[in-house]
Amino acid sequence: MRVLVVEDEKKTASFIRKALQAEGFAVDVCHRGDEALAAAGTASFDGIVLDIMLPERDGLSVLRQLREQQNRTPVLLLSARGAVNERVEGLNAGADDYLPKPFVIAELVARVRALGRRGSESKPTVLRVANLTLDTISHRAQRGDKFFDLTAREFRLLEFLMRSAGRICGRMSIIEKVWDYDFDPGTNLVDVYVKRLREKIDEEFEPKLLHTVRGVGYVLKE
Amino acid sequence: MKIRARVTLWYAAILTVSLLIMGAGTYQEISEQLHHDHSARVWQHALDETSEMVFDVGLPAIILGLLGGWLITRRALAPVTELTRAVEQKSDHNLREHLQRSGNGDELDRLTEVFNAMTSRLDGSFQRIREFTLHASHELKTPLTVMRGELETALGDEHLTVAQKELLLSQVDEIERLARIVDGLTLLTKADTGQIKLEFEPVRLDELVRESVADAKILAQPQGIKVNLAQCDETAVSGNRDRLRQMLLNLTDNAIKYNQPDGTVAISLSRVGAGAELKIENTGAGVPLELQPRVFERFFRGDRSHSSAVEGCGLGLSIAQWIVQSHNGSIQFTSRPGELTTVTVRLPEATTNAKELLAT
Repeated sequence: MRVLVVEDEKKTASFIRKALQAEGFAVDVCHRGDEALAAAGTASFDGIVLDIMLPERDGLSVLRQLREQQNRTPVLLLSARGAVNERVEGLNAGADDYLPKPFVIAELVARVRALGRRGSESKPTVLRVANLTLDTISHRAQRGDKFFDLTAREFRLLEFLMRSAGRICGRMSIIEKVWDYDFDPGTNLVDVYVKRLREKIDEEFEPKLLHTVRGVGYVLKE
Repeated sequence: MKIRARVTLWYAAILTVSLLIMGAGTYQEISEQLHHDHSARVWQHALDETSEMVFDVGLPAIILGLLGGWLITRRALAPVTELTRAVEQKSDHNLREHLQRSGNGDELDRLTEVFNAMTSRLDGSFQRIREFTLHASHELKTPLTVMRGELETALGDEHLTVAQKELLLSQVDEIERLARIVDGLTLLTKADTGQIKLEFEPVRLDELVRESVADAKILAQPQGIKVNLAQCDETAVSGNRDRLRQMLLNLTDNAIKYNQPDGTVAISLSRVGAGAELKIENTGAGVPLELQPRVFERFFRGDRSHSSAVEGCGLGLSIAQWIVQSHNGSIQFTSRPGELTTVTVRLPEATTNAKELLAT
């Protein structure tokens, strides 16, 4: 996969590049909006990581220009946290995903990988990881032959983790997707909920499915 | 004593003295005209003439003069009273609005002009401080992202010892705390400079309260703190859902953080008069009376010795206050140290639009 990273902050750009390269991506980097448009016009990329805050020509205008040129390359926007309007504007302008800054690099890598699969994925109604299943219509969770009662919040958390099974989910992403908070509440809400969920779906079973990635977040995988 | 009263008294004193001098002069004059005749009858006549002069003409003249003087000072000082009233309305939020000038070029007009120039300079300074904070918090974001990313890359190294790993993880925690402080600061400074425009919609406040109580119960469990929802009236307000949820989370989180083991948090939402009243009460150390007026200040910590034990960015109550005020509501903090600490939020009555929400 070939990825274009557009980020004016040289250090940030450099560690994004290193992290993506370590995962086997081919990475091109540019620091300005006009350079990005030129690069996207001459080469074909499988994904673009685009910072919104760029000098002179900002990320949103670059994105609009790309889509006007019928360039459908999947775009992951990097936005300042709390700037909900920017985000909504970005998605309207044709972004495929967004990640608020400061982000967790493992998550960025996971999202970039997911960019390639976007569109071909359909949303199944029954999610399955190992012998854990979650019916998103009846809200029933089951592992082996045991059923669990989940609160509404626990259900949303499990659904999110199962839909991103195998991918690391940062704490902030969980806060945004499960709680719809656009700010970091500074509480251990996520950890407490994950602990409760773990007691239900993992405690009496082997292998464990819900893993902690220290300093980053959580991942649900076999 | 007011200037007007002082001036009038002085005026009265001067008039009285001049009346006395006039009386004495008149008496002298009359007695000189009659200096050949020294009989008691003549003296009596001179005295009568003088007192007639003083009481029948002098006194009414003095009263008239006093009345006139009082009116004149009142007129002269009226612009000062007006100026005082206008200056009283001044705060750091409306420094840019200038006071109305009379334009007649007198001393007071000049004073107004000077005052306006001073507030303009002050406004400029305030503006520069706000912009500085905004730029500073913005500039801090990028290095934080870089540090976070580099630490994370370092954490991926398999040769790390357990101790090294712990060290890096603790740094990640601190960076996240810093990021939260920067976020909070950015939010408040943007609010100060009027860069945040909240979109309002009809919101069921009782639903938001129930939701945050459910989260609070779970957050409080590890410390054995009980969270009760004593009352939750159906209430609709016109507001911004995200910010109201943030306010509720900040307040319930505070009530848990600054509590005692096995303590309680009691939350109630009721309709009082023309609005909603939210009460959050918690047990715990509380805040001493003399420090209570300062709890909404940024980075204020009630108990210095206790502060390091409690995690938080120190902006929770400031943010909650901003949210409540931008909803035209009021927030109040009272605490009886060692007993109960209560935060009361009042939000104004919902519009008819929001009331329809209750009906559905």
